Amino acid sequence: MRSYLVRRLVGMVVVIFLVLTIAFVLVRLAPGDPASLMLGPDATPEEVDALRIRLGLDQPIIVQYLTFVTNALRGDLGTSLFFNQSVTSVLATRAEPSIFLALFSLLVALVIATPIGIWAAYRRGSVGDQMSVTSAMLAASVPSFLTGLIFQRYLATDLGWFPVSGYGSPDADFAERMRHLILPAITLGITNSALILRFTRASMLDILGEDYIRTARSKGMRERRVVLRHALKNAGIPIITVVGLTFALLVSGAVVTERVFNLPGMGNLVVNAVLRRDYPVIQGTLIVVAALYVLVNLATDLLYLILDKRVKY
Amino acid sequence: MHHRFRPLMTAATIALVAASPAIAEGTIDVAIIGEPDTFDPMISTKDVVSIVTQHFVETLYTFDESWSVVPLLAAAMPQISDDGLTYVIPLREGVTFHDGSSMDSADVLASMTRWVEVASRGKAIADKVESIEATGDYEITISLNAPYAPLMSLLAFSNSAAVVYPEEIIGDEIAEVVGTGPYKLEAHEPDQYTQLVRFDGYTQPTGAAERTQTPDEIRFVPVPDPNTRVEGLLSGQFDYADGLQTEAYDRIEASDAAEPVLLEPFGWPVFAVNHKKGKMTELKFRQAVQAALPFDDMLFAAFGDEKFFQTDGAMYPEGWAWNTEAGTELYNQNDQAKASALLDEIGYDGDPLRILTSRQYEFHYQMAEVARMALEAAGFTVEMDVVDWATLAQNRDNPDLWDIYITHSPFLPEPALTSSYFSTAREGWDNPEKNEILDRFTSVADPEARKEVFAELQEIVLKDVGLIKVGNFNALQGKAAGLEGVVPSPWPAFWNAASAE
Repeated sequence: MRSYLVRRLVGMVVVIFLVLTIAFVLVRLAPGDPASLMLGPDATPEEVDALRIRLGLDQPIIVQYLTFVTNALRGDLGTSLFFNQSVTSVLATRAEPSIFLALFSLLVALVIATPIGIWAAYRRGSVGDQMSVTSAMLAASVPSFLTGLIFQRYLATDLGWFPVSGYGSPDADFAERMRHLILPAITLGITNSALILRFTRASMLDILGEDYIRTARSKGMRERRVVLRHALKNAGIPIITVVGLTFALLVSGAVVTERVFNLPGMGNLVVNAVLRRDYPVIQGTLIVVAALYVLVNLATDLLYLILDKRVKY
Repeated sequence: MHHRFRPLMTAATIALVAASPAIAEGTIDVAIIGEPDTFDPMISTKDVVSIVTQHFVETLYTFDESWSVVPLLAAAMPQISDDGLTYVIPLREGVTFHDGSSMDSADVLASMTRWVEVASRGKAIADKVESIEATGDYEITISLNAPYAPLMSLLAFSNSAAVVYPEEIIGDEIAEVVGTGPYKLEAHEPDQYTQLVRFDGYTQPTGAAERTQTPDEIRFVPVPDPNTRVEGLLSGQFDYADGLQTEAYDRIEASDAAEPVLLEPFGWPVFAVNHKKGKMTELKFRQAVQAALPFDDMLFAAFGDEKFFQTDGAMYPEGWAWNTEAGTELYNQNDQAKASALLDEIGYDGDPLRILTSRQYEFHYQMAEVARMALEAAGFTVEMDVVDWATLAQNRDNPDLWDIYITHSPFLPEPALTSSYFSTAREGWDNPEKNEILDRFTSVADPEARKEVFAELQEIVLKDVGLIKVGNFNALQGKAAGLEGVVPSPWPAFWNAASAE
């Protein structure tokens, strides 16, 4: 077990280093100059050059790369060209909305998907099953920006039930900030429920056909106990895998939803950073996202140990 | 477990939904199109920077509602010598910076010196400035080596602005901006809000319109998505929203919660011409492009409804002092046969005409598409280079990469603020006759004489195809129903904003 963990952690470092290198190269391959963008349309080439020198963008690429790697190893991801703040502090301020949005939307998705998925598998072939499968396809097919716009217009603007956008005013307390996440979380939750529903249904279908389920039934065990205790527990591993990956995706990639609802999360940050050519922020975000994916994968694998005693590492 | 959590979650959700947002009394929430990347308007030409910073930093002069220059930190208009070379500017006494220090000529001298060194508009006239001196505790004297009539407009403009800072904070970079404005910077959370609060030590200007400091707070909220700005306005989340899509006009007008604010006309889309390199350096080629373009169709494609544009070739629209019809017979010819004949005359070899544009502003792209069709009908080979704005901003500085790039500008109060007229601009329009007209325009002081010279300038813009103005377009902003005290402007100010409720 310990050697497994060591191997996974070493692998994590390698993955992050590769991501770090690829991110550095990719952002510099993109055309567009941060200095020109920061100075505005009437800036002269001399002003742009002066700012490039100040930002260190005039240095050879290899010098920029070595500086970046050396600093990153010390935990210093650089300074945002746009915000003039350390990238770690910029990322820290964006973590709260992204993590809570991911948690809330995952909660919404699980609340919708798990019972329907179990029920659809249990009633395989029924009208209800067909309807749930069709609904899941519909939820997966409608882009989240469209769902978001519809909710924004009717639930927020017309009915006034939720804030339209943002993450609260300067004096907002935690509850108010969370209130701003409800509508985006429902939007994302509906979209992501489709995948979890399909996985839950498919996984439950596999398990419900197993011999030990028939045995449990033949022993006279109540149907509710058979489904929820025996079947669901064993169907959990693939569901946990998809839930874990969905969580990582939601933290890092709720770009469209964050854009529509103007949330200052990681997704919005990285889109703005790309548009602003804020190289350190793009690189820093990619490193954090890579680390998150690796950690979520590791956590998922460790959860298998708890759920299934047969799993050994 | 499921049963135990369900009531708890329901109660939590109801509590969160029911909790009303805490909004301070007298707060004006303004949705702006993006995050200002600096609070130092001296080093930026972005409108969003001007909109925010004009509330906490001030210039010696400003514009009134009719775009006339009036004093702000200056006590009066300057005494200008008969030869137009010396400007003696009296300063107001008792003006306090937000850090509690008092403004005097040392602060103004340090700020003006920095302006001609670091601001793009300041640097543009640096070669004309002989000296800037403090000639009294509350007096500053600017000496020029040649008369320069647009100086007062430059000193009044909020963009690349000649703002006044305390001498102590002056440097190449200003870490923390300290101004004299009616509001001071309270908090800034990037990509979330910029919070300004009333500055109690503010003293009212003697010339400019009163800054009543009506709201306790002004909050600028960057909202990049235009649809979200509209929804925020209609839901009451924002009191004012800038840069709205014209498609939202009817919906805002029909709403009880908000009213549309139409800036009519707001500005002009322009096809900037590469005079340094490539096909457009040849006059007849430029004239062929000009002849082929259907400006009315381009404007219609871009803005969709005549409520939002005017097909107008004059560089300034009706109602402006600079409006003239000189040369406008060359505008909107929509004559592909003439263009084709001009191409034949110069033996056009089919080398592509490269149009650099972006979808950052969708109307740029829509105009370019219509232009492409008309140009191809006239026999041009057109190569559209559609890139993101960051790439465009970089590529337009390289004259090897484009023949035309598309941009736009609001109507600026002084024509000399438009850099494209000058040979030093990236377009490099270096026509000797135009240069001579421009020199006269910037040196003549008499307003009536300047109007006549501007007519000559407009005529040569059209004849020499120095740049290609597409027309006039209107911009849409929106305000909460009952909000008063905000003068519609490309750079709206909120110090007098008050709700009628």
